[in-house]
Amino acid sequence: MNGSLYGAEPVAVLLAAVRGGRRPPADPQRRYFGYFCSYWPEELLLAAGLEPLRLLPPETAGTPACLPAFCCLPARACLAAAEAGELDALAGVGFAHSCDTVQCLTGIWPHRTRLFFVPPATPLAPGAEVYLRGELHRLWRQLAAAAGVQPEEEALRRAVALMNGVRLLAGRLDEMRPGLPSPLTAALLRAGQLMPRADYAAALEAALPLLADAADEPGGRRRLVLSGSLLESDGLYMMFEELGARVVADDTCTGYRHFAVTVDEGVEPLAGLAARCAARPPCPCRHPGPDRRADYLLDLAGRRGAQGVVLALRKYCDPHAWDAVAVGERLRRSGLPVLVLEMEAAAPGGQERTRLQAFLESL
Amino acid sequence: MKVADEPRYLPLRSSRHLGRTMQKYYLLMRYQHLWGRPLKRPLAWVTSGAPVEILRALGIDVFYPENYGALCGARRAAVELCRAAEAAGYSQDLCSYARAGIGAVLRPDLAPAGGMPRPDLLVMCNNICGTVLKWYEALAGLFNVPLFTIDTPFIAADVEEHAVDYVRTQLRRLIDDLERFTGRRLRPAELERRVALSNQAVGLWCEIRDFCRHRPSPLNAPDLFVHMAPIVVLRGTAGAVGYYRRLRDEVATRVRAGLAAVPGEKHRLLWDNIAIWYRLYRFFRLFSERGACFVTDTYTGGWAAALAPGDPLESLARTYTTIFLNRPVEFRVRQMVELIRAYAVDGFVMHANRSCKPYSLVQEEIRRRVMNETGVPGLLVEADMADARVWAEEPVHNRVQAFLENLELRG
Amino acid sequence: MDLHYYLGVDIGSLTTKVVLLDEEGGLTARAVHRSGYRGGETARRLVEELRREQGLAPEQIIRTVATGYGRVTFPADREVSEITCQARGMAHLFPAARTVIDIGGQDSKVMRVLPGGRVADFAMNDKCAAGTGRFLEVMAQALEVPVEELGALAEGAGGRCAISSVCTVFAESEIISHLAQGTPREDIVAGVCAAVAARVASLAARVGVEPEIAFTGGVARNRGVVRALEAELGRALLVPAEPEITAALGAALIARTLS
Repeated sequence: MNGSLYGAEPVAVLLAAVRGGRRPPADPQRRYFGYFCSYWPEELLLAAGLEPLRLLPPETAGTPACLPAFCCLPARACLAAAEAGELDALAGVGFAHSCDTVQCLTGIWPHRTRLFFVPPATPLAPGAEVYLRGELHRLWRQLAAAAGVQPEEEALRRAVALMNGVRLLAGRLDEMRPGLPSPLTAALLRAGQLMPRADYAAALEAALPLLADAADEPGGRRRLVLSGSLLESDGLYMMFEELGARVVADDTCTGYRHFAVTVDEGVEPLAGLAARCAARPPCPCRHPGPDRRADYLLDLAGRRGAQGVVLALRKYCDPHAWDAVAVGERLRRSGLPVLVLEMEAAAPGGQERTRLQAFLESL
Repeated sequence: MKVADEPRYLPLRSSRHLGRTMQKYYLLMRYQHLWGRPLKRPLAWVTSGAPVEILRALGIDVFYPENYGALCGARRAAVELCRAAEAAGYSQDLCSYARAGIGAVLRPDLAPAGGMPRPDLLVMCNNICGTVLKWYEALAGLFNVPLFTIDTPFIAADVEEHAVDYVRTQLRRLIDDLERFTGRRLRPAELERRVALSNQAVGLWCEIRDFCRHRPSPLNAPDLFVHMAPIVVLRGTAGAVGYYRRLRDEVATRVRAGLAAVPGEKHRLLWDNIAIWYRLYRFFRLFSERGACFVTDTYTGGWAAALAPGDPLESLARTYTTIFLNRPVEFRVRQMVELIRAYAVDGFVMHANRSCKPYSLVQEEIRRRVMNETGVPGLLVEADMADARVWAEEPVHNRVQAFLENLELRG
Repeated sequence: MDLHYYLGVDIGSLTTKVVLLDEEGGLTARAVHRSGYRGGETARRLVEELRREQGLAPEQIIRTVATGYGRVTFPADREVSEITCQARGMAHLFPAARTVIDIGGQDSKVMRVLPGGRVADFAMNDKCAAGTGRFLEVMAQALEVPVEELGALAEGAGGRCAISSVCTVFAESEIISHLAQGTPREDIVAGVCAAVAARVASLAARVGVEPEIAFTGGVARNRGVVRALEAELGRALLVPAEPEITAALGAALIARTLS
């Protein structure tokens, strides 16, 4: 892959956003609103005139006074960053309920402006859709009030259109990924959760032809599906490449799963958002669970010709740790080799390298 | 329920009755498939916060794997069971009730009290935590039986009416599904009767807990932990009412006679979180031998909420959604502060329970706020409710000793 | 005509091992040395010494494979994970082995292997000292006994004292408690060995134990642990005469297959 690709303007802009990414950029023109979890409805923020900034743990994890050791690093590191004042420039923080840890984080987070979104854990249950729409309506009203704007449907429609555009572009990038270095694709997708969305769409649109030109076959590289929760940096992706493999499908929360499925623009915006919530790729925090997820991963592996699956979990992440058993078993029974890789930080070390390498050597 | 150690303070006569009650319960459950089948009574495994009144009203017998987890912890059987689950790939960082429970399914030879009776169905309500959803998904896979879910959305700030409506809708569907499953119709009068029975037992349990406001307290925390079993596993039955009436009478007698659970009660303490089951009496003895009595706690009170009168589904939906573990930090701080005031508490001890994230991750914050608001000292002790492998005797003893010395200095 | 040789280098965090094989795959020489701060350097020196000892010209060593913690620091034809190398080495020594247990200084691993030594599945513990040589070192220190004598001491145990804690630090204080109560050291050592065996047996259960079971790594020299592990698993174990070098042997065997 030639270096000139990385220097080309649209690509450079996207990569710069990822490097800068953790703190809200010092930008007097925009108000950034932080959020956890990819179930958080970014459209509502955009419609309220705010820029959504996914809160990802910083490289150097601090130790917050308030959380015990048996808590995942992303939660601890983000809380430490908040306590250290690194997120003070945010207009507020949004919490979408995913797991017990985030549930607790909502109660101890220091920001004054905290908004909550509790989607159903069982999106197919009776009453779930009505409930979800009720949640979205409530959140929309609260958000508009907090942002000091009138809640207008037109603003929502525009936001949905913008985000759909982003999702389609991300989809095109994802299709190309078997021909691109894994860390590059991962970084470009992460940029879409950190940059002002309109800027991201423009830069990615300009970058896609350059990426298409630079893309080549994965060659003799082992093709793998990577699934898991969040990966806030590219270290693991780099390790794949270094060991002669490539992530041909990325079902991580900070990877393609964040962008999958567009919103139906033919219906009322909040109804469209609710429908997307229920249609997203299976997440361990929602039920029906492991069976659907295993089906999804098998299908993904089939479509991209993958030779194995790596389930990357963060230490103390309960939902993913539970799923790893059932999903791993189903995949193995279907003939797909699986490696469950537990990581404390997002940056893999020698221990992860040994496991990943041994797994690749056994394929 | 047999416990490994004996209490070193005033034992309750009712404790023997408790032993017999729980033994009978486990025996009945163990052979439920024999007597239940001809009566067309299916067996459901349910979570501790499930709206069990509906199941009782439909003639479904209920078994509580969480209570079984506590039993395994108390009998020191949980470690081997957890190992069995870990051997099957379950992370050792997961809830020890769940690991022990799954271990007992995979290795019934290691399971105490005759093991767990095979379920015909599973009923899960996630009001207590998100782990039960995953645990029960795993069970559904292991047993290949239907899983019924009641999703009670977390109350991040205020109780949202659309959330209660959602729960109500799910309860309505649960009834329909269970009617189909059992082949029986739910008679509204029967549901009301079960709700009334739950309320009666809850009322008696509240009376019993309230008695501990008396100085000296007639009960210590281990009593509450041990005697709470029927309010969970026999909820909605006449048996629970009879049981708590008897206990209430004994406790009332103690109060009248001025009998103290801890003779020479010097310090009145509050306990937060689930008990350390494999060290129940030994641990609390560290306190009782210095005149410190745990007069109240946040856990056993979780089953002290009455179901409101009126439409039973509305009432069930609201009560089960608004349990304390489904509430924000502000609510839990309030609850603790009120208990401290009502029970004239001098200090509190919080068990940082590795297995229970919703309970434990917010403890440091709650401790700080409660200490600020009440001026009462709080201690955090790290352990696990059932997995004895994480128990560290020396560090815990040190902390407890320092805390008690502090209390004694305050006078 | 000069003969060709194949080199396997295992750079561990504590010790570095090198193994030299001849064209037939016969063991020509081996060496073990503490790694120090620069395992790569140590390995280079060891290889130099070995080469001179055997009177070989550098070009006679035609293929090299590096493995272990420090494998990326050594210039080799290929670097291969210690899991693959260990499986390969042990399959060579014990063709009937289908499960390989390796307890080293700082980690423990279990591999299920197919005939020929390919890895079917593996599980590792390298994040926690319990169940590794480190655990034994800490306990040996608390008992004021050289680590090498633990095995012999365990043999004299009348009973076995239970050590319940998963954490090395807490287990150490358990031991100190037992000593204070007058429990015989032999019994404590037996308990320590049993604790390691239990931990490793759990790890093994995750990949599924299939006979025959082989046991290697530095800790395999400890008879107490061998016996405790045999008791846990309910079977006799196949233990190599030189457990430290089996991964380096595997690396050299792999070197021999490189074109």
